[in-house]
Amino acid sequence: MSKIWIILIISSLIMMTIFSPGSVVGTMMQAAKMGISMCIEFIGIYAVWMGIMQVMDDCKLSHKLSKILSRPVQYIFGKTDEETEKNICLNIASNIIGIGSASTPFGIKAMQGLDKGETKATRAMIMLVVINSTGIQLLPTTVIGMRALAGSVSPSSILLPTIISTFLPTILGVVLVALFYRKRKTNVAKQ
Amino acid sequence: MADLFIPIFIAFVMIFAMIKGVDAYSAFVKGAKGALPLMASLMPFIIAMFVAVELFRNSGLSGYLCNFLSPVFKVLHIPVELCELTLIRPFSSNAAYVLLKDIYAKFGVDSYVGNCASVIVGSSDTIFYISSIYFSSTSVKKTMLTIPIALVCNVFCTIIACFCCRFI
Repeated sequence: MSKIWIILIISSLIMMTIFSPGSVVGTMMQAAKMGISMCIEFIGIYAVWMGIMQVMDDCKLSHKLSKILSRPVQYIFGKTDEETEKNICLNIASNIIGIGSASTPFGIKAMQGLDKGETKATRAMIMLVVINSTGIQLLPTTVIGMRALAGSVSPSSILLPTIISTFLPTILGVVLVALFYRKRKTNVAKQ
Repeated sequence: MADLFIPIFIAFVMIFAMIKGVDAYSAFVKGAKGALPLMASLMPFIIAMFVAVELFRNSGLSGYLCNFLSPVFKVLHIPVELCELTLIRPFSSNAAYVLLKDIYAKFGVDSYVGNCASVIVGSSDTIFYISSIYFSSTSVKKTMLTIPIALVCNVFCTIIACFCCRFI
């Protein structure tokens, strides 16, 4: 991430120093201002969804959701310990609900649970990262919120196309990972 | 139909909470309280990314890159207006949200381009960011085929998104 950042900054600054040196500071300040106003907008969107998530948590609905997912998770990831499996389920569940930032803590915990101290990524790890980066979302809440704020006639008209174009690539990702990396059956037997 | 889904979902959660005898009000307040600290902790990262992406766009670099790539987009039936968005999306959600807002302002929320942009942002995710933070907490040094597979899925996602939006 930091490499990408520094490459973007340096190459852009070189371009701008040659063609329009006067606009560098203005652009940076404008960007910061945009960042702040975006943050404020997001506080509202997150507050509402995190509130609803907490209600789901308190009445054990999120727990039930992770139970429904437990079977496919076992099938896709192979055998993992119970805590890791729960974290994977919660990671996927909160992804599906559409709060990516809520899913990140679970994802990181799951990755640590899958970590066996090897320097090469294991099949389950690659699977988890690929599934997360194809953005399995049932409810694209942030985008729908932004569409509503931008005055769309039908903010959630994008719901069905989004579901289609999120699940097909996810399936493709799972299949590709499964093709390139076989499940380690011997390891499963030992556990 | 699609418009009904979210209200029904939220209503279901609330009714379920009421039946279960859970204090939904305090739960909601408790959850919502987390939004401000979360945003406060993300704020420096968001600003750092915004500065980089805005410099990238204003310097004209992204324009050159898009001109260079536009034949590829034509072949894949992706509107050329979405070039910047598809380039930026794997790096940063926040930058993608800025571009999305720009697209809404320029082409209209409910236009074909606006719809495509919404679906692309809603259905893909930040590949580079996710794999860097997920692997950062482990002992893994070699991420193997993670990024290539994720990128293939991302391109596939963009193509499907633009195809599906023709039917809205």
